[in-house]
Amino acid sequence: MLKDIITPKKILFVPNAHTELRGQLSRSRGATVVSGNLTGNSRQDISGISARVYKNGTYGFASMAEYSPDAAEAVLRAATENADFMEKNVNKGKGPLPNINCGCRALDCDIPDAEQKRYVDFARSVDDYIASKYKNLASRTVAAREDSMEKLLCVSNGFDAHTCLQRSYIYVFLNAETQSGAPVELFKAFGGEGGFEANFKDPEALYPEIDALYERLMQKREGIYADAGEKTVILGGMMSGMLAHEAVGHTVEADLVLGGSVAGPSLNKIVASEMVSLTDFAHTAFGEKTPLPVYVDDEGVEAIDARIIENGVLVGYMNNRETAQHFGMTPCGNARAWAFSDEPLIRMRNTAILPGKDKLEDMIASVEDGYYLIDSSNGQADTTGEFMFGVSMGYEIKNGKLGRALLDTTISGVAFNMLKTVDMVSDEVVWSSSGFCGKKQPMPVGMGGPALRCKVMIGGR
Amino acid sequence: MERYKNIAKQILEKLQARGADMAHCSVRESEMREFNVDGNEFSLFRTLFNRYIGITAFIGGKKGSVSINRFDDEAIEAAIENCVSAANSATPDTAWELASGNGERYFKSGAIVPETEKLFFRTKELLNDIHTRHPKIIVEQMIVKHICAKGVYMSTTGNCYISESGKYAAELMYSAHEGEKSTSFYGSDVTVTDLDKPFIDCALIERELCDIENQIDTAATNGKFTGTVIFTPACLVSTVFGNICGNFASDGVLLDGTSLWKDKLGQKVADERITVSFKPSDERIVNGERYTGEGYISEDYDFIKNGVLQSFMLSKYVANKTGNERAKNSSFAMIIESGDTPLEEMIKSIDKGLIIGRFSGGSPGTNGEFSGVAKNGFMIENGKITHALAETMISGNLADMLNNLVAISKETLVDGTVVAPYMAFDGITVSGK
Repeated sequence: MLKDIITPKKILFVPNAHTELRGQLSRSRGATVVSGNLTGNSRQDISGISARVYKNGTYGFASMAEYSPDAAEAVLRAATENADFMEKNVNKGKGPLPNINCGCRALDCDIPDAEQKRYVDFARSVDDYIASKYKNLASRTVAAREDSMEKLLCVSNGFDAHTCLQRSYIYVFLNAETQSGAPVELFKAFGGEGGFEANFKDPEALYPEIDALYERLMQKREGIYADAGEKTVILGGMMSGMLAHEAVGHTVEADLVLGGSVAGPSLNKIVASEMVSLTDFAHTAFGEKTPLPVYVDDEGVEAIDARIIENGVLVGYMNNRETAQHFGMTPCGNARAWAFSDEPLIRMRNTAILPGKDKLEDMIASVEDGYYLIDSSNGQADTTGEFMFGVSMGYEIKNGKLGRALLDTTISGVAFNMLKTVDMVSDEVVWSSSGFCGKKQPMPVGMGGPALRCKVMIGGR
Repeated sequence: MERYKNIAKQILEKLQARGADMAHCSVRESEMREFNVDGNEFSLFRTLFNRYIGITAFIGGKKGSVSINRFDDEAIEAAIENCVSAANSATPDTAWELASGNGERYFKSGAIVPETEKLFFRTKELLNDIHTRHPKIIVEQMIVKHICAKGVYMSTTGNCYISESGKYAAELMYSAHEGEKSTSFYGSDVTVTDLDKPFIDCALIERELCDIENQIDTAATNGKFTGTVIFTPACLVSTVFGNICGNFASDGVLLDGTSLWKDKLGQKVADERITVSFKPSDERIVNGERYTGEGYISEDYDFIKNGVLQSFMLSKYVANKTGNERAKNSSFAMIIESGDTPLEEMIKSIDKGLIIGRFSGGSPGTNGEFSGVAKNGFMIENGKITHALAETMISGNLADMLNNLVAISKETLVDGTVVAPYMAFDGITVSGK
């Protein structure tokens, strides 16, 4: 755990500038078993210190791979010099950032560290189970992972904080072949916030869900191609979470708004059906802790929820302190950095479409000819809001009943058009948090949503 | 360099004393200076001082790896302990192997010492050039940087490689705007060893900016047809050959046996006009790989020559597991041979098709089937570009495509990391609303 060597350095912060000094320890542990071969078995510990100084509209930043009082002083000097260079050569004349609430947040959790043998043994146990029970698979991969970011932050104005975000997962990939020899794959991540020991006590606890994954893979193996074209679909919670993150979330990150995203001219306009509301939650949602809670961001902003869409109207963006000033909005704690050597960027935290009142079974029953799309393999979206998601698991719906499974397909559309077609919203939110969002730096994020009935373009073969 | 060598030597000795039959480690330091532009304006100047130690030990055929970024004794001792512990928890595998007996080598390349003031000048110049020549472009983000690194790779098998390298890189993400209309975002990149030329004149940056400016007014594609698609060089590398490498020739798919090409070595897999090589020593590649992660000295090799599959892209480990040869380097310094058809002629020869700059889709399956949205593209009808694309999907099969080549352009992208022409393939399904 990091010792506080940075608070005493606050006296070195230069006047008339906003300064952040951050110490950080990032750990990752992993073991990967590919069809019985242990191909990955590694641990990483990366620590260091960085400083960022804001003067008249630009930042200077510096970092060193050393967590020491000397390094703290060195990065403060270098960041200040860089800020001075930018002020001299660019000088936007923007003046200081507005003051925000100040305070201090102490670390409120342990950061356990499991031995490497635990990851290897757990991954091997799960792989052995799959290998012995399911002989007809073409290949299988089991990966055990944990990553954590512990941060100590001091700011010239705002919240000082000692925080940690730790999460751990088991990833299972199963591959089979259709009768014609085409590959089919399904994937599931187990786990969430917390250390590996706490999340994974016994491999057997995962077996029922692995059995269910295998069953779905066998259904998919016998699956059909979706009919191409615009269809009525029920997007499951995992899919609507992907939509919330990729197709809406990125377009409302204020740096991308300034870069010309579709959300710029859409503020305070109707962008979705009035049944759709979307929030980027900080640490608590629907009375429970979010998958990856954020309490103070890396600019010293105490994290609160960022309301984005309310009853179909775009009401806000996700901001850092600088863009919040630009747009006249309140910063909600969205500025997050990945490694000690990274500067904070505007990032999502736990982005979700809010639940409605419909029951999933009623939604499926309401569709005469369409699809129920459950899992996504990947998703990409444009700053125009145009999106494309791979659909890795889904079923046809005929006369209100689920039918055959689908082979891999894709859906595409333009978010602010497609969201206007939403006419039913389920009462249950499904969260996921096992991936990384990519935007100059990787970042763990949570995403979630209820099932949505809507119209979307679906690709065929 | 002596400091790095001493650290590496001590680590290897300690690993051997704790039972490692074989081990290797890398010790290096790097510095980076980077200017950032966001939303058309300078936003940040950052300087990073980084360190890295990577250690891998093999004990009785069991492998464990650890990496840290501290050089102090306490951290190194802990890393050695963790590495030994990780190796002891693994299962033995006789396929692990490191290069041996290469002795001491010294590699130096690129611009080691940064010209920071000139880098700022070139960055500002690029921003000004874009504003002046392409006023509809908004630079969402531009990252221009100098990176230099020095360090040592050492193994217990008799290799000691000392390296120093430096380079400049510019990465741009941008879109074009007119009123409330905007294009898809697009990225241009270039890596160079000096700052002699304005960045806008490097790689295909100027041309790509022009293309994006011409994509503001789009039209959706109606219906479905099978036609010819020209892939721009960047899209050809990332969408076509990047996926072909991953799906048909990489460690993962050969190890789990799902590669369509697993029995195709020495056989025709593509049109005979297609030659693709990996050449880290090519003068057009900036700071190409000098040795692989397993300690082998990198050599250039042909992946596909005149349509025939010459080599997989395997590590020594997977080569040993599958009975194949390892690839002669582990880089992605891809050189795709250009053709003799001017791009303009390629477009003229197409009755109905597309030219696309980016593909937004899922990773193709191991059978090579892909489908996704054609981005930053234009419709071609009767030999002419008619309009920019919106909401247009393409689908096809990568393996089939290579045998449906129409033409290869004379023009090439040389961006410091790859060399690639435009390529046109027939038989691709294009669908719209």
